[in-house]
Amino acid sequence: MAKTKVLMAQFPLETHNRGLITVAGMLRDAGMEVIMMGNALPDNIVKAAMQESCDVVGISTYCGGELALGKDLMDAAKKAGIEKKTVFLIGGIFPPKDIPELEKIGFSGAFLSATKAEIVDCINKNVK
Amino acid sequence: MSGKTTKEILNDVIKSQNRTPLYSKEALAKIQASFESWKNTVVAEKDRKTYTVIPKTIMGSDIPRDLTYTPLDVADLDYENDLGYAGQAPFTRGLHANMYRGKAWTLRQLSAAGSPQEVNARIKWLLSRGSTGSNLALDLATVQMFDSDEPEALGQVGTVGVPVDCTEDMMEIYKDIPVDKISASIVTHFPRNTSIILPFYLVAAERRGISWDTLMGSSQNDFIMESVVRSAIEYIPPRDDFRIMNDNIEFIRKNVPKWNFVTLNGYNLREWGASGVTEMAVAIANGIDILKEQMKRGNDADFIGQRLAFFWAPANDFFEEVARMRAVRRLWHRILKYQFGCKTDRATWLKCHVQTSGVSLMREEPLTNVVRSAYHALAAALGGAQSLHVDGYDEAFSVPSEEANLLALRTQQVLEAETQICQVVDPMAGSFYVEALSNKCEQMIINEIDEIEKLGGLVEAVDKGWLHEKVMKYIQAEQAMIEDGTIKVVARNYFRDPNLKMPEIWVKEYDQKLADAMSAKLARIRSSRDNEKAQAALKALEDAKNSGANVMGLCVECARADVTKGEMRRAFIKAFGSWKSPIYS
Repeated sequence: MAKTKVLMAQFPLETHNRGLITVAGMLRDAGMEVIMMGNALPDNIVKAAMQESCDVVGISTYCGGELALGKDLMDAAKKAGIEKKTVFLIGGIFPPKDIPELEKIGFSGAFLSATKAEIVDCINKNVK
Repeated sequence: MSGKTTKEILNDVIKSQNRTPLYSKEALAKIQASFESWKNTVVAEKDRKTYTVIPKTIMGSDIPRDLTYTPLDVADLDYENDLGYAGQAPFTRGLHANMYRGKAWTLRQLSAAGSPQEVNARIKWLLSRGSTGSNLALDLATVQMFDSDEPEALGQVGTVGVPVDCTEDMMEIYKDIPVDKISASIVTHFPRNTSIILPFYLVAAERRGISWDTLMGSSQNDFIMESVVRSAIEYIPPRDDFRIMNDNIEFIRKNVPKWNFVTLNGYNLREWGASGVTEMAVAIANGIDILKEQMKRGNDADFIGQRLAFFWAPANDFFEEVARMRAVRRLWHRILKYQFGCKTDRATWLKCHVQTSGVSLMREEPLTNVVRSAYHALAAALGGAQSLHVDGYDEAFSVPSEEANLLALRTQQVLEAETQICQVVDPMAGSFYVEALSNKCEQMIINEIDEIEKLGGLVEAVDKGWLHEKVMKYIQAEQAMIEDGTIKVVARNYFRDPNLKMPEIWVKEYDQKLADAMSAKLARIRSSRDNEKAQAALKALEDAKNSGANVMGLCVECARADVTKGEMRRAFIKAFGSWKSPIYS
């Protein structure tokens, strides 16, 4: 079976990347292939995910605006037609009450604090 | 200057000192004998086996600790040379003879998020409740130098801080606040945003008729923040960033003499993922490279040294936090005196602002964070900080609510007014443990500085990705230790409540009206300003790399012409080109 391929990215203005680095390390440890894209506009994140044929897009967010930006990203994914076959996950700092909202707009997982096992499980469950 | 490394220069100094150890050989011999006897008879065998342990905590440094400390651990301590008195070289015991009896540390709380008008009101509110300086947090778009109406700024205007697009916004933020009397920290982390944002403040003062000579405050202006710690959509090459940092330093030192032009940033590097030792080693190495560069430009170390400041992140390992703050003051004094030949004591002072650690705060049972931050703050005060921000307990969810912000200020006030720690200067001095730990911290910091110097200096080390690599490894190793329980975190992995619920936390709602108002203002300014003047100022900035003109001087001209920050950011990219961070593939 081919390795699960994950694109790690964040919204254009995010200044923090500790979360991105931490999770990238966990996923590599779990045998996945990780592409560290870093900051990008939602359209460009979707483009990169398609070009690299990624199974998963992981977003790290610390500075607020995750609902507006998350919706922007999912809209771009829908426009490109990858929202069903690519798994979108988001983690970082946001109010707990936003979790159901993030799941509603299309993220398969929204994490405030999670262990490696929880993230890997979530990916394995969702990647077809 | 000699071709010797900082470590070699300082070793020569120690060797040439006429040292008088605190303990006589006779006393030490007696203690050695009684210590051996105690350790081998009174201490139980199982405790003897674990006599030296390596504590594991968040952002730990792996400094081994013994069960107890004795004069044997500080056998060569020379009181006059190594400690002395507060207000006197080598300043281990503090910068001022009367320390907090004379003046408590500055209670500086971040002014939080919102519109320029809201932040103006928040600063006044904090000042009226005893805050003694303002501390301006900028919104994400401003930190990254995007105008509020650029596509990248979508959903981020006014979050985590205040938006500042142009001079007019600074006029609003500081309206009716006496900026010639109350110091302002303006959190421009990077050289580039210091070049861009600080001129808005300077030109705003100019328009109010306030002379730059009277302005007091500080900016971070640290290339490590921009090239290493910051995640971003675009970078400029670290070497150019280092030049811009030095242009800012030179401009500010000559034109705004009371402004602390650089706050060498341990804090954000440590919070990103580094030990307290690396935090300080990188900041000191940066200071060394700045002084070398400024001397090349003909500015002497006494002139520059007076306005250098540092920024530390005290975290969980309480005694280490106190010890390293004392140690690094001594180290910096020795470097300035012996490596750079400073003649005035004042130029050798290591002044520091301190913010309690945010990464150490947890989402689980967030009120526990109040206790954590209080210990961090106590360490900062016992370490002799000049200025302090205490984090809000809701740090792991949001920028602080008004309630959390007030509680943080109250934490500072309880320390200052009720605990009586301010009555006695450097109360930790003379503890065998604290002095031994201070020596150990100093030695480890200097060893890491030596490593950096042998790589060719800090700019070279950054360019090669050495620091990025170091932090990436550190972060991943730490995470593994939290997951397997090696690092105990109360309520998260240590006595975690099996029925743990996430709390209701106040979070500032996104204010689309503010973003719209900022966009409307930008449109008005771009159409009403003298565009010929604005374009000429921008053109001069685009030529900065080749012309060699002082970058901040060029940005002041831009601010006077009501150029916006996004326009200036794009001019920097045209001038210096872009660079790829080693973090991203």
